[in-house]
Amino acid sequence: MNFKNFKKYIVMVITIIAFISHSAFAQERITVNGTVIDENSAPLEGVSIVVSATQGAMTDYNGNFTLSVEQGTQLVFSYIGYVTQILSAQPTMNVQMQPDAIGLEQATVVAIGYGAVRRADLTGAISSVSAADFKQGIISSTEQLLQGKIAGLTVIQGSGDPARGSSVRLRGGTSLTASNSPLFVVDGIPGIDINTVQPGEILSFDVLKDASAAAIYGSRGANGVIIITTNREKKGGSITYNGYVAIGSVAKNLDILSANQWRQYVRENELMSAIDFGGDTDWQKELEQTAVSHYHNLAFSSGTDNGGFRASINYLDHQGVIINSFLQRIGGSITAYQYGFNRKLKLEFSLHANTDKWTGIEYGIFDRAYTLNPTVPVKQNGEYTQIGGTLNNNPVELQNNRNDDSSRKRLLGYVKAEVDIIDGLKAIANVSYEYNSNQGRFYRPTYSFEGLTDKGYGRKTLADYTNTQFESYLTYERTLAEKHRFNAMLGYSFLTNTYEGSGAERRGFDTDAFIYNNLAAGQDFRMGDVYSYKGNSRLVSFFGRVNYSFDNKYLFTATLRRDGSTRFGDNNKWGFFPSVSAAWRISDEPFMESVKDYLSSLKLRVGFGVTGNQDGIGEYKSLALMGTAGGAAYYDAAAGVWKQSYGVTQNPNPDLKWESTAQTNIGIDFTLFHKINATVDWYYKKTSDLLYTYSVPMPPYLYPTMLANVGDLSNTGIELTLNSNVYKTKDFSWDGTLTLAHNRQKVLKLSDATYQTDVVYSGSLHGLSGLSNMFSQILKEGYPVGTFYGPRFEGLDADGKFILANNGDPEALGDVQPDLTLGLSFDFTYRNFDLNISAYGMFGQKVLNAQAMNISYAGRAPSYNIPDSYLTSGINDKVTYSSYWIEDASFLRIQGITLGYTLPSSFLKKIGINKLRCYITGENLFVITGYSGIDPEISIDGLATPGIDKSISTSSADNVNYYPRPRTFSFGVNISF
Amino acid sequence: MKIKSIISIIILLAFNACTDLSEKLYDRVTTSEYGLTEGEIETIVGRAYASLRGYSDNASGGTHAYPACEYVFFLTSVSSDECTLPTRYGGDWFDDGQYQELHKHTWKSNNKTVWSAWKYCYSGISSVNAVIYQTDKSPLTDEAKEKIFAELRAIRAYYYFRLLDLFGNVPITVSYEDLELPANSSRADVYAFVENELLDIIDLLPVSGYGRMTQNAANCLLARLYLNSEVYTGQSRWQDCLDVCAKITGTLEADYFTNFLTNNEVSQEIIFSIPYDHKAGTVGNYMASMTFHYEQKWAISAAGDYQWCGNGMCAQPGLYSSFEENDIRRKSLLIGEQIDLRSNSVIIMPGNGGNQPLIYTEDISDFTSSLQNEGARLKKYEVKAGETWERDHDLVIMRYAEVLMMQAECYVRLGASAQARPYVEQIRSRAGLSTPETIDLNFINEELKHEFVFEDHRRTDNIRFGDFFNAWWEKAADPSDKHTGIFPIPSFERQKNGKLIQNPGYTD
Repeated sequence: MNFKNFKKYIVMVITIIAFISHSAFAQERITVNGTVIDENSAPLEGVSIVVSATQGAMTDYNGNFTLSVEQGTQLVFSYIGYVTQILSAQPTMNVQMQPDAIGLEQATVVAIGYGAVRRADLTGAISSVSAADFKQGIISSTEQLLQGKIAGLTVIQGSGDPARGSSVRLRGGTSLTASNSPLFVVDGIPGIDINTVQPGEILSFDVLKDASAAAIYGSRGANGVIIITTNREKKGGSITYNGYVAIGSVAKNLDILSANQWRQYVRENELMSAIDFGGDTDWQKELEQTAVSHYHNLAFSSGTDNGGFRASINYLDHQGVIINSFLQRIGGSITAYQYGFNRKLKLEFSLHANTDKWTGIEYGIFDRAYTLNPTVPVKQNGEYTQIGGTLNNNPVELQNNRNDDSSRKRLLGYVKAEVDIIDGLKAIANVSYEYNSNQGRFYRPTYSFEGLTDKGYGRKTLADYTNTQFESYLTYERTLAEKHRFNAMLGYSFLTNTYEGSGAERRGFDTDAFIYNNLAAGQDFRMGDVYSYKGNSRLVSFFGRVNYSFDNKYLFTATLRRDGSTRFGDNNKWGFFPSVSAAWRISDEPFMESVKDYLSSLKLRVGFGVTGNQDGIGEYKSLALMGTAGGAAYYDAAAGVWKQSYGVTQNPNPDLKWESTAQTNIGIDFTLFHKINATVDWYYKKTSDLLYTYSVPMPPYLYPTMLANVGDLSNTGIELTLNSNVYKTKDFSWDGTLTLAHNRQKVLKLSDATYQTDVVYSGSLHGLSGLSNMFSQILKEGYPVGTFYGPRFEGLDADGKFILANNGDPEALGDVQPDLTLGLSFDFTYRNFDLNISAYGMFGQKVLNAQAMNISYAGRAPSYNIPDSYLTSGINDKVTYSSYWIEDASFLRIQGITLGYTLPSSFLKKIGINKLRCYITGENLFVITGYSGIDPEISIDGLATPGIDKSISTSSADNVNYYPRPRTFSFGVNISF
Repeated sequence: MKIKSIISIIILLAFNACTDLSEKLYDRVTTSEYGLTEGEIETIVGRAYASLRGYSDNASGGTHAYPACEYVFFLTSVSSDECTLPTRYGGDWFDDGQYQELHKHTWKSNNKTVWSAWKYCYSGISSVNAVIYQTDKSPLTDEAKEKIFAELRAIRAYYYFRLLDLFGNVPITVSYEDLELPANSSRADVYAFVENELLDIIDLLPVSGYGRMTQNAANCLLARLYLNSEVYTGQSRWQDCLDVCAKITGTLEADYFTNFLTNNEVSQEIIFSIPYDHKAGTVGNYMASMTFHYEQKWAISAAGDYQWCGNGMCAQPGLYSSFEENDIRRKSLLIGEQIDLRSNSVIIMPGNGGNQPLIYTEDISDFTSSLQNEGARLKKYEVKAGETWERDHDLVIMRYAEVLMMQAECYVRLGASAQARPYVEQIRSRAGLSTPETIDLNFINEELKHEFVFEDHRRTDNIRFGDFFNAWWEKAADPSDKHTGIFPIPSFERQKNGKLIQNPGYTD
């Protein structure tokens, strides 16, 4: 689907209507030469100038046009997002177009999946962000562009690690097991890794929020759908370059004792046993570096009436603020299209590819940095100092004496064909192929502290993933009696995913010379040192949609999708996902005429739909399978050898199916005073057949857990988006966008006739001192996911021991989910200067400051380090989980401030440059919060450790990936030729 | 028109093709495709034996079900009079008080160590049931199947014996396919089930085979059942125990510690063991790391190539001094100064150790906040530099010394003390000790404590001798109803299976 063409078509229609109403009388013919410029006096390309239904022109790359018309003819100048102007033809015309916020809003074409509609015609809840509004600064993972930009879409960057992305969640999570990430659709291809396309290649995001919009994606739509439209060619030709250089440093460290503070503490408390190692080490600082990053993106494109292409390459070198950590990415994309058969056929090819290289960090370093005595020098006599003790080894050694070199390749290619069969009937087909490959390389040398007992440990892994899809659909559009508009779509899609991988590892090396490149040199081999795996899933879908609008005032949409998946159990192979929605453009009613001046548009939308989530099932989960298992070898005494045993690998569940989410959405879009666009949406969504690995009784089951569809979960919320051109004069303008969202989640049900679950313990504290096997949260009917559950702190007794309410009996202590999320963005322009200030915030969520809890206990110092806060806390007790450590983590982060300057085009023209803008950006400048830990923005993904601030990770069930966030300053340029 | 027809063909093809949703398997097979040959069946039977090592359970927050370590071994040892697991200064090993409960016999039904034993046994039973099902479906001859079934049923009887001993009234399930929730059976029924199963199959079992359920192993298990019969059923069966013991063949190793070498498969004394080998990826055998001090590695290797240790379980005060000084078995406990092999001076305990020297003491000053070096350590199995986290020694479950001691005890119980003496003498002389002329029950009890120290026997022996309910160290006397003689049915299981009734005396 070419949205651009559709846009043009709409513009033409509007223009023709305008033309008819302003028709002129014929006079003498003249040749008109003119230039059209935008509000910044930059030439505007692609402005259409309409004379009649059969005559017109379009401005070229320099904003120029030529026409031969009769003198005095009314010329209609129009361009998307600008106020249409009607002017009398003159031999020379210099036209300045003025932006039209409302017109842009209403005429913008929004991708809805297998098609696009004008925003004005939407019946579902869909929000869009275009390139101009993306998050500024270093973007190492594409979803970060959306942070704080869309009401109800939370993008949490839980870590400052350049190699890690963020978690994306729309309108609260709907699943306990499956990913809560929305489905990403790239140029119409669903289910693509969002990082396959790079920030510089993206034109816009359309976020399908409610079920009536997302239901067209059926069993993958429950968490919403984000449609990404990439940049396309420009008529004529252009070359653009965007680049920046950035310098980052850790924004905040934990306040723990310095060597001198430690010495003072020892003196004051007369701690005779304390050993002063004579050094003065800030272990956090020793692990940090000033990170210099840079990014370059070069793109060129060319287009004619019959075809065009765009190609771009980009390079990102992103250093981490922790020593030995970085991400490098080289990417490129090329898209080309060509019309044929008298423009009845359009063919489009596209290829996006990129490759990453990065080093991972050893996550154990942070806990050691907080633990190790600050008087211990990093090195003594050129050797890393090791003083013994558990979790007390030298973190600088730990981070330096290792090789952890990973790489990744991503590729997406597709071929698309569009055919006009008869007037109004179109067939579209595409074939796409996505390939992701991860290579891991790891070596821990023999001389390293951790590699000692293994005598060197090397590992290489390879994991490949492919996603091949064929999609085809027909669309038919017809208008009857001028007032009845129909649009119908019918499609089929077939998707096959294959993953496969292998790995090898070895221990016992005589030399470290080969690192991971010659694993055969390791002589200590074990069963399980080599492995490989492969799996496949397929999804077959039929889908359709009908749009009907009457008089452009009453709009109806209905969709239906039928998905069949190999992942589903034999008893539930196919699912239905219907939706209906309607909208009423109230402002177009005659009775609204009187209020038009201040309420210029008003639309009511109501929708209901059912979407699914099949992500949590995984392949083969419904089947009774035999396989080998790790740790399940047996000793064949007769032969004197160990052999792999085979057994049933899981409790089969032939009833397995998707989670289904029924969502009702009521929304209002309105425009006040021609100035403020507002959207308010209310929704209620109920997820049933929640997939969870439920506990089952053993006996009779073979395994104590089983993946099944049992529970119910609800999310209800309200969202507000406001954007406005607050103030505007000739030289100055101020635009603002505010998004607010509130969501409340509740677990409704966890049991049924077969599966009985009162409560599931979550939020693992395993790994914290004296808290093995302990949990901090519960999953229970009536509470949201991530509800803290523990003793309530009542005070400290005279000895500094914790006094806990009800003898320490646990109770619910609040939850990790925010009550309110906020995004705020202001754009100011003054002449050639532009200034953007972006902020986002989350309010009302609780965080367990396990980091502080773990290092604030009696007797920790002088052997280990303690936080400054412990000295004044009065605590004299062992590590004790209670509400004392649960804090309100509301925050407002000034995410970025960008100041830009665009050089005057009059000057640039002379040297052949179309546009040149320089800017500086300050990122993560400050956070307003009452939270006492390093940063209140903690990942709330999953059940293992949502909302738990800690750097300790010792068990596989609790995969904590703490990494401090940087504060970054960058300088960049945008140039186009 | 040409385009139209091409498009129609494409769409037609697309709609008709590819609606097949059967799953393609690559790296595993369905149950119906495997277990068709004798060789394949052998690998399936192997899973039943592998189940004896227990399993890791990270999903439950790390409540592992390992008989050699966390938490099955912890459960039976810490609740007996030979071990304890104090909370260390700073709170290490507090872990919600679950080990303090074990020591004090104040466990509740939500104690995770109690749960681990349930999971261990039933996971094993379910595995065996699945293997029986698989074998039954295979095209092997009935005769071949019966032989395999015998071994599998013997393994299952071992699990049920442990359930009988730990929980008493437990459900009996013997079918893989039947998913009906089972209710508890009475302890007497479970007892009868174990006895009947063993009697049914003993003659079909192999005569020899290391690590396999041989006739000797099954008879030893049956003898254990009879030995504790009075506890399980109220009816003593000392003579039956003697009769079964008489069928068991075996020998004592000259050196007691041969049974506990890293390569203890060389021992001729072992009747049944659970084999381990880290190179084969076996898991759960890391008790050494649960008992030694964090810095112990320097006493084992100057290069420091010994696994991390966590300073947990230790001997209960009084155990060490209960050994006679020249009892070679006393070496099963580690006590005194630990010498740093790098400097030949005593290891210093950093961190919460307060930079004090590492000298293991028998006494423990404060159960709820003990110093790092307090408590003698468990060092029965060989310890070597370069060992991995997962140790290689096999876990000894039954050895011939037990058969001798069972006979000795039964004779004493039957009032034939003189007949008991020769059995005890063999044990004592190997330990470097003389044997008194007359042997009474107290003597037997002490001897069992020393001969099988840290071998997972003590709780059962304590109960049989009645000591279990007496006060010791930090533990008060148990309630007079003696309900603590069996553990509660774990609340986690009762939540899932409403048919399970709690054991008497437990209210939650």
